Amino acid sequence: MRQFLRKRMADWVRRRQGVDTLPLTLQRRRLYILPTRAGLGFLVLLLFMLIAGLNYANSLALFLTFLLGGFVMVTMQLCHRNLLGTTVYAAAAAPTFALRPGNLRVTLGNISTLPRYGIESAVSYDPTLATDVPAQGRQEVDLPVAAAKRGILTIDRLRLTSSHPFGLFRAWTWVHAPLEMLVYPRPHGSLSMPTESGRKSGVQSRGEAGADEWHSLRPFRDGDSPRQVDWKAYAREAPLLVKEYSAAGAELRVFHFDRLPNLDTEARLEQLARWVVDAEEHGDRYGLELPGVHIAPDRGTDHRHQCLAALALHGLRDA
Amino acid sequence: MLKVSTPLGWTTLALVGALVLHVDRMPLWVSALGIALLAWRMAASARAIALPGKFTRAFVAFALVGTVFAFLHTLNGLQAGTWMLALMCSVKMLETRQRRDQYIVVGGALFLLLTACLVRQSLLRTPLYIAETWICCSAFAVIAYTPAPGTVGARERLVPGFDSRSAILLAGRALLYSLPLAVVLFLVFPRLPGAFWALPRTEGAETGLSDTMSPGSISQLTSSYDIAFRVRFDGAAPPPRERYWRGPVLHKFDGYTWSRSFTSAYRTQSLEYLGPAYRYHLSLEPSQQRWWFSLDTVDASPNHRVFLTYDYELISSDPVTSLTTYDAVSHTQTRATQPLSRLARRVDTDLPKERNPRSQQLAQEMRGRVDSDMAYVTAVLEFLRTGGFVYSLTPPLLNYDSVDDFLFNTRSGFCGHYASAFVNLMRAANVPAHVVTGYLGGEWNPVGGYFIVRQSDAHSWAEVWVDGKGWLRVDPTAVVEPERLTRGMLDLLPQAGSAEARLVRSWPSLTEMLQRWDAVNTWWNDHVLKFDYRSQLNLLSRLGIPSPDVTLLAWAFAILLSIWLLWIAWQFGRGPTLRRPDRLAKAYARLCGKLARVGVPRSAHEGPLAYADSVSSSRPDLAQGVRTLLVRYAELRYGAPRAESRADDIAGFERDVARLTVSKA
Repeated sequence: MRQFLRKRMADWVRRRQGVDTLPLTLQRRRLYILPTRAGLGFLVLLLFMLIAGLNYANSLALFLTFLLGGFVMVTMQLCHRNLLGTTVYAAAAAPTFALRPGNLRVTLGNISTLPRYGIESAVSYDPTLATDVPAQGRQEVDLPVAAAKRGILTIDRLRLTSSHPFGLFRAWTWVHAPLEMLVYPRPHGSLSMPTESGRKSGVQSRGEAGADEWHSLRPFRDGDSPRQVDWKAYAREAPLLVKEYSAAGAELRVFHFDRLPNLDTEARLEQLARWVVDAEEHGDRYGLELPGVHIAPDRGTDHRHQCLAALALHGLRDA
Repeated sequence: MLKVSTPLGWTTLALVGALVLHVDRMPLWVSALGIALLAWRMAASARAIALPGKFTRAFVAFALVGTVFAFLHTLNGLQAGTWMLALMCSVKMLETRQRRDQYIVVGGALFLLLTACLVRQSLLRTPLYIAETWICCSAFAVIAYTPAPGTVGARERLVPGFDSRSAILLAGRALLYSLPLAVVLFLVFPRLPGAFWALPRTEGAETGLSDTMSPGSISQLTSSYDIAFRVRFDGAAPPPRERYWRGPVLHKFDGYTWSRSFTSAYRTQSLEYLGPAYRYHLSLEPSQQRWWFSLDTVDASPNHRVFLTYDYELISSDPVTSLTTYDAVSHTQTRATQPLSRLARRVDTDLPKERNPRSQQLAQEMRGRVDSDMAYVTAVLEFLRTGGFVYSLTPPLLNYDSVDDFLFNTRSGFCGHYASAFVNLMRAANVPAHVVTGYLGGEWNPVGGYFIVRQSDAHSWAEVWVDGKGWLRVDPTAVVEPERLTRGMLDLLPQAGSAEARLVRSWPSLTEMLQRWDAVNTWWNDHVLKFDYRSQLNLLSRLGIPSPDVTLLAWAFAILLSIWLLWIAWQFGRGPTLRRPDRLAKAYARLCGKLARVGVPRSAHEGPLAYADSVSSSRPDLAQGVRTLLVRYAELRYGAPRAESRADDIAGFERDVARLTVSKA
């Protein structure tokens, strides 16, 4: 029943509001507000107080009741005001692996001169995450998103709610911005990594010497292995840098989808993802051969993403 | 350690506040148990001891219910309800893990506040009530802001969060803004002419006169500085010697104690009024008794729930548990137009045969010497005046035959002694008489324009039946101590009063201050506490709405409500800080508007110089004049400030913008 009502409600809101584009400032038309359970309880309490006050014809008790009644209405205004005018600047999800916790990063903004407290955001009906947004400032919230399988996860809608300041009312809104999250296949499988025999990595072919010498430093990027970080430099208060080794001993590898015959498609993709991740970690140069997709050997975060994305989208989209 | 700033701390504070409001009305063990339970909770939150399990909690709750029942023999009624609520909220504290539990406890605290309002309404306590309301609302804010344990993720703490101080400020502001609505609702919300259900009798010590009188019983009262009632006369007040406020009338005497007669076979005497009528408004302090008071002989019962007896006593069907006000009309001089019934004569001449033999003998001797009842009354008064009697609040104790002991032995007494002895002498001579108890006099409050009658003004006097005249009021005390008529008891015998009364008496400016305070209190009582169904109708008719039309009132209220809501919305408005455009910006906007109208609008991303370029390229004919203006704008806005001529430069720019004429291409 609850599910059904939620569905109907969501559909109605969707029809009513249409699709949103970010950045989006919350307007009156799209804010909804209802008493919370505590608020309903408080109203019942007020009813009892009113009856008692009327029955005893007690002016003080009645005044208290009316004062609290006014307080409830002020509370409603405050709650509405707290959410009204909040800006959703951006919402983006970094790719993640299937069955690993993913994050949707939502950037909330507040152009008003008062801070907004207890703005809770959530993906659809998931549990909310509360945050404060400073006056004329921004605040980022990372919402957990669970990805069950590889491919593209579409996030239908975001929910922004707030029951600040007294918890007697809850104002909420739906944001229907088109959000997609790329989900890589889960790196999984125990087959050993194939080597493209006879060919060594391109560094040597460029004729540089010294097996373990690094040839350059670059800023740290997400996904870099901690092993490659130049910790000594970091200890000297330098920025987080990553050593790019000349990788004299590193291999050149090409992973073929077609050379994993005993597995079904998903298992093959998982195995390939495992290899891509491991190869990147070892500093190997690697390429990928999928039906209809050919990725030349290379390495680095972008390359890794390109490979994993190809695996994620295999068979889902026309490449 | 427990911090006040946590939801638990605030919940505790709200509950403690509510308990404090009741601490003087509840027995010590209830408050002590409540505090003990709270201490348990606090110790648990400091991890000193564990919180009780489900069964322990249930056991404690049942044990407490049982204890309350054992004490009061009921779980019904305001008192039992208050105790139960206080204890159950304290037990609930033991399981405040979730936000919901904390809301329940704070709600309970608010209801305890309401019950405090029901039993105590003095002006002095209102600051406490306001403070408690404020605390509870702040507690709501703190509870709501703090995420309940177990919810997803921790709150980002990059900005200074919503702390206790913000909660207090916000709650205070919200309450302040709800004040106008509360006042309007208070004035117009329909009150009940009666009650939904019969009001339970509130329990409390009875104060004031009782319906028996033995020697010394009134002198216990006179040391009390408490107020019995306040009276405001419409028009002239009666002279001091006629300010007798009638209370219980006592007919039966056992030789020591006077008590009321429960014979109801009397007929009401028909009366002829001799003096002027006095109209007055009386507000009675709660006494937990059924007695209402009126000036000497009241014309009619002021309320249909109050019975006017044959003796002109007023007896209410319910005890006076809260401040009660009424209007009444009285006469102080009357004459009976019918003879006394035989039954009444028998009751009011009855004396215990074997008691007080010497005074019976004395009465018969004295009656034998005069020829009329009236002359006998005068003779007895003369006997009291000249017999060496002393007026004293601390007379020696009297023995079993109290009147004999008093008349022939101690000769020192108080109004009760004199009234008792006098009536005894009357009855012994077969003259119908009875004792009237009540109050005499009252303190004039010049600030408020009313009389304050205190318990210390308690008095007793006699009424004697004289054929042809009816019941005559005779005050034997006034013969012994004539001053008592015009001066209050405490003026007369200052050492008799309580320490409080003596302090006030000895310090005139304090007296005056207290009179002012009492006047404020009276205003509070009359206009706020006693604002009821009738006052509401009065108010409406004074506003020009003679008969309350519900539809009209509802509309009026709806309109007021909307205005108030708009006002709130405006007050709490939090739009972006729109800096008002200054003169320069307005002139620039005018220039851009002019150009936009001829087809070269400024794009949002273009600054003045870029705009000049785009105008030049699309409308070369306008380029010259427009570019000059735009460059001037850029200089004025972004160039090095030249304070001395800036105002002139802006004025010049405005002028040139106004003069610029552009035409469509």
